[in-house]
Amino acid sequence: MLFEELKNVQRQPDGAAVSAEELLQLPVFKDVSPQFLKKNPNATTWRHFKRGEIVCREGEFGSTAFYILEGTASVQLASSIAHVKARSIPTGFFGKLTSKLTTRLASRQEDRREDEADRRSIPIDAPVDLAYDHPVAELGPGELFGEMTCMNYYPRSATVRAETDCTMLEMLRNVLDVLQKSKTFRAQLDLTYRRRALDSHLRNVPIFRGLTQEFIDHLRDRVELLRFSPGQVICKQGEPADSFYLVRLGFVKVSEEYPGGELVLAYLSRGDYFGEIGLLGGGARTAACTALDHVELVRISAEDFRAMVEKFPAVRSGLEKVAHERQESNQERLRMVRSVPLDRFLAQGLMEAQSLLVLDLDKCTRCDACVTACADSHEGVTRLVREGLRFENFLVATSCRQCRDPLCMVGCPVGAIRRRNSLEVIIEDWCVGCGLCAKNCPYGNINMHSFSGQMDDHENPGHKKAVIQKKATTCDLCADQKEPSCVYACPHDAAHRVEPRDFFAETLGQRVGRSRRR
Amino acid sequence: MRIDHTHKNWLIASVALLGLSALLYGTYRITGSGSAATTASISGTAPGLAFGVLGFAFMIFAGLLGARKKVPVWRVGRAQTWMRGHLWLGLLSLPLILFHSGFRYGHGLTAVLMTLLITVVASGIFGTILQHYMPRVMTREVTMETIYEEIGHVRVQLREEAEDIFAQAITPKATAVAPAKETSGATDIAVEVPEVDYAAPLRNFFEQEMKPFLERPGARRQALSDAAQSRNAFAQLRMLLPPTLHTTVEDLESICEEERQLTLQSQLHLWLHGWLLLHIPLSLALLLLGAVHAVIALRY
Repeated sequence: MLFEELKNVQRQPDGAAVSAEELLQLPVFKDVSPQFLKKNPNATTWRHFKRGEIVCREGEFGSTAFYILEGTASVQLASSIAHVKARSIPTGFFGKLTSKLTTRLASRQEDRREDEADRRSIPIDAPVDLAYDHPVAELGPGELFGEMTCMNYYPRSATVRAETDCTMLEMLRNVLDVLQKSKTFRAQLDLTYRRRALDSHLRNVPIFRGLTQEFIDHLRDRVELLRFSPGQVICKQGEPADSFYLVRLGFVKVSEEYPGGELVLAYLSRGDYFGEIGLLGGGARTAACTALDHVELVRISAEDFRAMVEKFPAVRSGLEKVAHERQESNQERLRMVRSVPLDRFLAQGLMEAQSLLVLDLDKCTRCDACVTACADSHEGVTRLVREGLRFENFLVATSCRQCRDPLCMVGCPVGAIRRRNSLEVIIEDWCVGCGLCAKNCPYGNINMHSFSGQMDDHENPGHKKAVIQKKATTCDLCADQKEPSCVYACPHDAAHRVEPRDFFAETLGQRVGRSRRR
Repeated sequence: MRIDHTHKNWLIASVALLGLSALLYGTYRITGSGSAATTASISGTAPGLAFGVLGFAFMIFAGLLGARKKVPVWRVGRAQTWMRGHLWLGLLSLPLILFHSGFRYGHGLTAVLMTLLITVVASGIFGTILQHYMPRVMTREVTMETIYEEIGHVRVQLREEAEDIFAQAITPKATAVAPAKETSGATDIAVEVPEVDYAAPLRNFFEQEMKPFLERPGARRQALSDAAQSRNAFAQLRMLLPPTLHTTVEDLESICEEERQLTLQSQLHLWLHGWLLLHIPLSLALLLLGAVHAVIALRY
């Protein structure tokens, strides 16, 4: 037990500040400046948790990280591992005509969605990932959790409960920041990561699932673990490609420069990877990558990457396929930027949208049939508001645009919001309902939907208690129906779901044509 | 609903049906069996009954649009298809019923029914014309449009914003022009320097013009209700105030503009939907009395 190393230190009560002298007796604080610790006397506190006590709960906002000195703690997701499913349950001819959509929670087993992530584990803010089927893991002495919450103020990604009596250090950002720079501490964290998480991290990426244990063991000591501060450039567009990266922590922005400015191609989070296009093409980086927050990456050198793709042809073909898809998508977006020279179009973020709910205000009588239909389809909770940006005589209603530049995905503590290959936004089963995506969406298009459910009662082990669980929801285009209800219910032919570029290009083109003829 | 080229098929079908009905009616009137019928009502005859049944069926279909709107997610046809049917079949019901009645107004219940039908169709045409043009007017004229139900809330916000802007504008000025007092030490006589309240015109304008306008936006004889008069009033106010207060005046002017837009939106919304207050109850009465008429006519 690490606490044994503190045998000369008297146990302090829960919540008491840890003195600089006490901290310096811990090996992980060996490299930290005593002056710094003395100047920040209350930045680290003793925390004692009795068996069964909750250390932190998923979805809660916090600003501290925990370092376990003694005891074990379980880390788990209390939220239902299920996604919000809207569907009709028609029975018979009349039923098909009259069935309403019902919104409920459905697990992956019940409802396997197209392009459903093949992830077998759920990324959390701890050195371990949780298994999808059984989202519980154990943390022990010498392990740190809550790093992302502490460094980036993201909500807690999981609930941590003391499995035995535990002693922990709870630290503020300034202490963790200094610790992160300590070679001893880094070495210990890196060792823990290589030992416990690298396997699951690599295997969680579908195309790496074919790697043999032998090769992973080979990589284990060869990969480099890198850290980047917010805004730091990881690689520049055009520079030689020399590495392949896996995102271990934080969010990375992938962007390309074009004459009018910067075009964001993607946001990558834990479990995503980049750098394969340059390496497979044998040339230069095709895009720039920048750390959006505190980012930690696993760097695989070009040499190891080549060895991997040569030894495992399936990995190579998988990477080539993904690289091809990414390049196609990037080309498409660049074509769009070049072909739509409309400042307002770009300024309003419409270029980023894939699907817009557009109301023709010249036809719309403001009867709100679309809003009523949406609410009726989703058990009284509308997912659209008849207000938003105006473009000529069109109103872009407040409803999910399926953005190509989905800011909603930045910061999700459990990586539960992502895009399908079809670029449709999808919210994974393990959404903990923290609401950060709803806050991040610049267009207010994500809502929090409440569901009643049951969860383990930590005060009464073995018992369940009724809870209201929240899950993020966006416009689902009325799944299971041929046409979204808002469009179907508009009596004035004013509501349309459109692909923005084609729609505006056609509409504006016609308008320009007409004015020229005049 | 806007009547545009997308209604072409409905127009052709309606004209064709009207033409066919007129042909049948004319034939019936001209042919031998109609010699007696030229002066008598044809409603009791087979063609007359057919016109009546078809006309009433169209009325029922038109009336079902209201029920359709109550269940927006039922997959029983797109709402716009129902609306097109409502417009064209509802319109056709009038000539069919005229053919049914032989262009007679009738007495008692039939007269009431005819009055109701003409009123309902006329109000429907009026509403269609309004809904054809008014959305464009609203889009063009009300650039700061909000959700209709939110107008009251937005007005409260505007009032609060105006109060804040006004309070911020007059507070520092009041300090800057605090009364000065000079004393001649030798004789100890106090000389009062008259206070110059630069914000006084703003205070007067806000209390006497703007506040009443924001509190009772629809009231008559308010200069700020009219865009041109409002522009003049604010231009005059600017001349009376030091340049430091001009930004405040601009902010207040834009609040008045937004308030006028809200008023205009309310008025246009009333035009867009107000006619339904006549159209819907009369339609329901027409359907109810029409059913009574059908039962009486067929039974007796």
